[in-house]
Amino acid sequence: MSQTQALWWASESFWRKTAIWVTAGSFVVLIFLTFDTVKQITAGSKRVPAYANALNHRIDYVFDAKRNFQVPVIGPEEPLFGKMLTETEAEALVSHGKLTTQAKNCMDCHTLLGNGAYFAPDLTKSWLDPAWGSKETREQTMVEFLMNPTDKLHNASGRRMPNLKITEAEARATVAFLKWMSSIDTNGFPSNFKPIDQADAAPAPVAEPAAPAAAPAADAAPAQQ
Amino acid sequence: MAAIGISTATMNGGQKLAMKYFTVAIALFGAQVLFGLLAGLQYLYPDFLYGILDFSINRMLHINAMVVWLLFGFIGSVYWMLEEEAGVPVVGIGLANLIFWIFTLAVVVVVLVFLLVQVGPGEQKSIWLITEGREYIEAPRWADIGIVVCVLAFFYNVSATFAKGKFTNIGGVLVMDLVALAGIYLAGMYYTPNISMDQHWWWWVIHLWVEATWEVLVGCLMAYGLIKTMGVRRKIVETWLYIEVALMFGSGILGLGHHYFWIGTPEYWFTIGGFFSALEPIPLVAMVVHAVFDAGHHKLKSTNNPALAWIIAQAFGNFFGAGVWGFMHTLPQINLYTHGTQWTASHGHLAFFGAYATMVIAFLYIALQKWRGDVYMSSNLVGAWKWKWAIFLLHAGMITMVMALLISGYEQSQIERAIEGSTWMGYFTAQEHRWFMQGMFWRQIGGWIFAAGFVLLAWDLLTIGKRETRPALQVQAE
Amino acid sequence: MLEPVKLANFFIVFFSAASVILFGASYALLFAWSRVKSRPRLMMLAYAAYAGLFISVITLAFAANLFHNGFWTFIVSLMLIGYLAAPHAIWHLCVGTHADEHGDAQLKAPI
Ligand code: HEC
Ligand code: HEM
Ligand code: HEM
Ligand SMILES: [Fe+2]
Repeated sequence: MSQTQALWWASESFWRKTAIWVTAGSFVVLIFLTFDTVKQITAGSKRVPAYANALNHRIDYVFDAKRNFQVPVIGPEEPLFGKMLTETEAEALVSHGKLTTQAKNCMDCHTLLGNGAYFAPDLTKSWLDPAWGSKETREQTMVEFLMNPTDKLHNASGRRMPNLKITEAEARATVAFLKWMSSIDTNGFPSNFKPIDQADAAPAPVAEPAAPAAAPAADAAPAQQ
Repeated sequence: MAAIGISTATMNGGQKLAMKYFTVAIALFGAQVLFGLLAGLQYLYPDFLYGILDFSINRMLHINAMVVWLLFGFIGSVYWMLEEEAGVPVVGIGLANLIFWIFTLAVVVVVLVFLLVQVGPGEQKSIWLITEGREYIEAPRWADIGIVVCVLAFFYNVSATFAKGKFTNIGGVLVMDLVALAGIYLAGMYYTPNISMDQHWWWWVIHLWVEATWEVLVGCLMAYGLIKTMGVRRKIVETWLYIEVALMFGSGILGLGHHYFWIGTPEYWFTIGGFFSALEPIPLVAMVVHAVFDAGHHKLKSTNNPALAWIIAQAFGNFFGAGVWGFMHTLPQINLYTHGTQWTASHGHLAFFGAYATMVIAFLYIALQKWRGDVYMSSNLVGAWKWKWAIFLLHAGMITMVMALLISGYEQSQIERAIEGSTWMGYFTAQEHRWFMQGMFWRQIGGWIFAAGFVLLAWDLLTIGKRETRPALQVQAE
Repeated sequence: MLEPVKLANFFIVFFSAASVILFGASYALLFAWSRVKSRPRLMMLAYAAYAGLFISVITLAFAANLFHNGFWTFIVSLMLIGYLAAPHAIWHLCVGTHADEHGDAQLKAPI
């Protein structure tokens, strides 16, 4: 036995107390942060828009030089399926869509906000995807695709989405959910995304939507080698 | 300090129950491998089982089988050590046995519903009866409630047994950890239409499980294992358990930040995620230094070679899977491009296998030694080729898979995420790339090797020590 | 406040990040080994590993644009100092916690 035995900083009781304090301390900090975060991500906040606000307006995704990434922008009135909704109606619709994504398990093929499975495209900005063609036909194309995706092949890998027995009401609600999701401020994920052309047909000499999409490529993102 | 490894031909009640949990765990491990292979094949042959057992179903079964078999393995391991730790028989063993059957039955029902019903209409009742549709915790709400009840009963058995006997330090940490583990699960049990809020709480379950509470649970099992198989002194082991808890929780709890970069949560999480990512190697350094220190002072004479081999595999697996693979993609500057790609899958596979599957397998061998009547399991064990080939094939398969996924993920982060900007067409441009396809091919090869290793492992677990007549080596605490 | 990695630097980031951890572990391993076996020459190797770690951290910092911002620069210095000190601290803990077991431990360990 040596005399160093009683070193306080190497004793079991010291480390028991340290473990408790470190754990409790971290947890308390986490709780404080959680209160703030939950406030900031409640629908109707700056980062996560109110359901009706998103569904009734055009959503865009443009480069913000100050924050150095693309951010969603809520634009002019452009109601989903041509119908203005109250906040209650909008929330009910998005909720129906969200329930559909859960009941059909979209997240075990797709990622939403980058989380989920990697077998199919990320849906965070699906609403803004250029592959939907034109903004006039987008809503209908999306509904039809969701209800019957099997006979359409859009890629050379041969991978198709299966028919998940989505009803028309569910498909429309899912489109609402996707539109609302695209309005969430995700700190620039996905980066360098090139949104669908949503400019109004006639008077558009000002800002081509291609410009904001190109901006990150030049500034921050690595697009050109 | 009592001599350890005394041969008692019969097992105690907790240990008999543990064997039941272990049996189900291995069966579910087999199911995990099977559905992983099916899901992997669908990357190579998209029409394979299309419309019958779609990718989503195979993947869901793959990862849920994993979560449940690891949990069953942990519960079994805790029951295995419980009576010896507490010094009294398990309190409420009848209830514990009943709970085992209820839990197992619930798992069977959930699997059958996943297989046969698959999807439901977009209504609350689907979430209650069919699936919750949230990765890893897809089990329907009724099963969630069942799981909480089972875990509470388990918690009662464990804490009451320790309370009746003696509350060792390992016991104390274990009980507190179980409270946290069950409590965190509640965060995953509520519905919201808000996907940001949904993912925010979802990460509480996933991250705080695997990088905090599960790590500490494994720390407790490891502490017990070290006392058992190597005769390290309890006082030292327990002090180090507290040191590990401080380091793990200190870096792991707020390490949650590395999942809050892109889901709608505020920008300050960049800072928190970055800071705690930098702390993350410290517990690993602690383990390395301490292991070398111990090895220099104790003669490594093991009573159970397979168990020791898997414990060493755990140390390496944890180091590479969580440490190296985690650190490579955790800074937001790069995670912007790796987020949600095969990169993540590579890390997920190596970390779960390396840190948790290995630990449960080590415990299986500890248990089997006693089950066979404290049989000899040191060098020149009869039929040792089986466990040696199993551990080799499982690792060769896993490493092949993980390296293949890494190459696919690297290509995907560049082409899909950076250049194409993650559009629908950008996604498929990356998926059809030569590197990606080759990655998927080699992942499947790795999968087959892994599956062969699993078959051998299962065979070995059934037969190890059967033809062995020598008694186990004895290890004493110094 | 965040400057994402440039495409050309992806590989460097992955490689240097992995090296940070691997060198960190080698440094810890060699450091402890040198002390356990009382072999001072291994200590040279340990510090060589630390030098590798140092270079990896700096490479990572450049490739991931960490020096563009005060906070991330602070993280870099924290890593450099923290990883240097950690094995020393852990070693002291080992000696301290095992004190009553190995009365001779502190003879081998120049404190
Ligand atoms: C079995 C796997 C699977 C499931 C489950 C699944 N999808 Fe898909 N999904 C795919 C695949 C594969 C594609 C690509 C189809 C193609 O290119 O033809 C796709 C494409 C899509 C697209 C177009 C891609 C884009 O970037 O916009 C949308 C939108 C979509 N799915 C929505 C959903 C929704 C909503 C659900 C749940 C209700 C769902 N998917 C469930 C596999 C799946
Ligand atoms: C044993 C411990 C660990 C396990 C079992 C584990 C497992 C996982 C799994 C399965 C995922 C994917 C989750 C999903 O499906 O979306 C994941 C994601 C992640 N892990 Fe870990 N992990 C561990 C430790 C770590 C550590 C120590 C770090 C960092 C230093 C880390 C960093 C990450 C990051 C950044 C992600 C997010 C990836 C993305 O953005 O897509 N992990 N982990
Ligand atoms: C035969 C061996 C295996 C094969 C072929 C396999 C295949 C797969 C496939 C195809 C996926 C879906 C990935 C995607 O969404 O694209 C997956 C996911 C996953 N597997 Fe496996 N797997 C195997 C073994 C294992 C083992 C042994 C473990 C852990 C113990 C494991 C843990 C996981 C995890 C955690 C995920 C989710 C990853 C994430 O979301 O990031 N797998 N696996
Ligand atoms: Fe994590």
